[in-house]
Amino acid sequence: MSTERNVAQIALFTALIAALGLIPQLTLAFGVPITAQSLGIMLCGTVLGARRGGLAALLFVALVALGLPLLSGGRGGLGLFSPSSPTVGFLVGFPVSAFCTGLITERLRRLPTAPAAGIAAVIGGICVLYAFGIVGMSVALERSLGEAALLVTAFIPGDMIKAVLAGLITAALYRARPDSVWSRA
Amino acid sequence: MPSQTVLLSVDAVDLRIDGRDVLQGISYVSDVRRVAVLGRNGSGKTTLARVMAGLQPVTGGAVRIAGVDVAQDRRGALAAVGILFQNPDHQIIFPTVGEELSFGLKQMGLPKAEVAARVVQTLAQFGKTAWQDAAIHRLSQGQRQLVCLMAILAMAPKLIILDEPFAGLDIPTAMHLTRVLEATEAALVHITHDPRVIAGYDHALWIEGGRVEMQGPAAEVAAAFRQAMEQLGARDDLTHLSG
Amino acid sequence: MISLTSPVRTRAHGWPAGAKLLGLCVASVVLFAAPYLAFQIAAALAVWVAYALPGWLFFWYGVRRIWPLWPFVVLLLIWHLFTAGVGEGAVIALRMVTAVALANLVTMTTSLEAMMAVINRRLRPFARLGVNLRAIELAAAMVIRFTPVLAGKGTALSLAWRARSSRRAGWRVIVPFMVLALDDADHVAEALRARGGIGLDNKI
Repeated sequence: MSTERNVAQIALFTALIAALGLIPQLTLAFGVPITAQSLGIMLCGTVLGARRGGLAALLFVALVALGLPLLSGGRGGLGLFSPSSPTVGFLVGFPVSAFCTGLITERLRRLPTAPAAGIAAVIGGICVLYAFGIVGMSVALERSLGEAALLVTAFIPGDMIKAVLAGLITAALYRARPDSVWSRA
Repeated sequence: MPSQTVLLSVDAVDLRIDGRDVLQGISYVSDVRRVAVLGRNGSGKTTLARVMAGLQPVTGGAVRIAGVDVAQDRRGALAAVGILFQNPDHQIIFPTVGEELSFGLKQMGLPKAEVAARVVQTLAQFGKTAWQDAAIHRLSQGQRQLVCLMAILAMAPKLIILDEPFAGLDIPTAMHLTRVLEATEAALVHITHDPRVIAGYDHALWIEGGRVEMQGPAAEVAAAFRQAMEQLGARDDLTHLSG
Repeated sequence: MISLTSPVRTRAHGWPAGAKLLGLCVASVVLFAAPYLAFQIAAALAVWVAYALPGWLFFWYGVRRIWPLWPFVVLLLIWHLFTAGVGEGAVIALRMVTAVALANLVTMTTSLEAMMAVINRRLRPFARLGVNLRAIELAAAMVIRFTPVLAGKGTALSLAWRARSSRRAGWRVIVPFMVLALDDADHVAEALRARGGIGLDNKI
């Protein structure tokens, strides 16, 4: 694996997360239109693995902070990273979430790809991400952790669907391009 | 040519990928300025282009351009050979024209001031000074292909490999880029499936199934290639067409 | 790619980016350390006066950027109406809007290049620990270059889907989309190597 290919794959996955937020909303399962950006974060981990996936998500978050409008709806900039911004925890959690998702996918090598990636996406992409998100929200809004958790529960069903999709997509990609799925290599 | 080091020397190149022979025993030595490599889809001609540019390591043999082993000596290769891909989006790495042109020059180890000067000079040469800060994604396909070409010409390699760069361009754009190429001092190796585009070339190499089918004066090889292709095309069986 | 830097030139565009970032950190800490309604109102007024100084265009741009916070403001006020009192809720809501607006102000008045330069300076000590600054720079440039390319390809894929289906493109379109991105990555890696690659540069 050349350094160039490594860097190019990380950069292209970062661009992919951004593009998933830019293209017209995809209708995911059950006709619910949701932005696919957090799905992109899960896929970083399930496809690229812990190290590369974590770096791609880190690059994404860093470029958003520097002022590129890469978040869905063209959002970006330092305002999102202010400790007073209610969603700051989710952004800061993105790289850790992708890293954990990748790590778990790598560890579950004995399972078939779809369940391995799906389980990893639930633990890394939802549990880990929400832990960060809830702490951030509790700080910004000065609410207890429990109250902050209550506020984000509405988003969990949508993210569960995305975790299932992350598993299916990773498995489909593994069938199409086994060499490209580093978490299974 | 009087120089002892030949411009292009492909010496018994073999390439196996996943147990499949992609190139077999390709040898070719040339000092002429215009070489064409003809072949059908899947003949291995694009792989040969990558091998000549030093991008694809080979299983056997070696490619030397102006005496530089392009696979081993990557720094030397920068001044020896440039490659223009078919799709400019596969080549352009940077978001603006200026950055794209600077990159190769910086890679060659030139000092900052000279990099800047060469970029300005190259843009001026093509009357595109206004493009310096232009965003790549606002340019048309043909304009982007010109950016790729300028990025290569700025580095002034001795040999430029063209991997069907005009496929998909409209006729005036293709003619413009052809004129630009004809005016360069660099030698050209033009990879193509279309014998028409190599009129006026000195020498040609016909690749079939990863081997040299024929080599010689461009007009002769092109005529033989065209005849063979027309015979194949007259049959109405797609199984003869390789991917 | 369009950055979020405001096209309306302000005096703050010329200030050093590092100083602006440091000022933002200090201001954020102060806003958290002073939960007094009068102080928060004064701070909010000061920030919005700063937004108004370069003109209405700049001001409205700033308002649009802060607008997505409104559900949280409403939520805080309602919550506090039933619990601790509106005063406390107002302090938190004001602080949220002020701190985020202030951070947006830094983004709006600092070019991407200036931000990158600060990051580059801060990361330089880590180069010895194996952090490849050149690779980071290249990767950042590639993201800016390929985000619009991929967005275009994604849109084209959705269209190709809809041309042969009565339903909107579903998640299945993401698989070919990722294959495209991975292919692009291979091509770019090759283009990088054609011009010397990443390793070479370290020796210069």
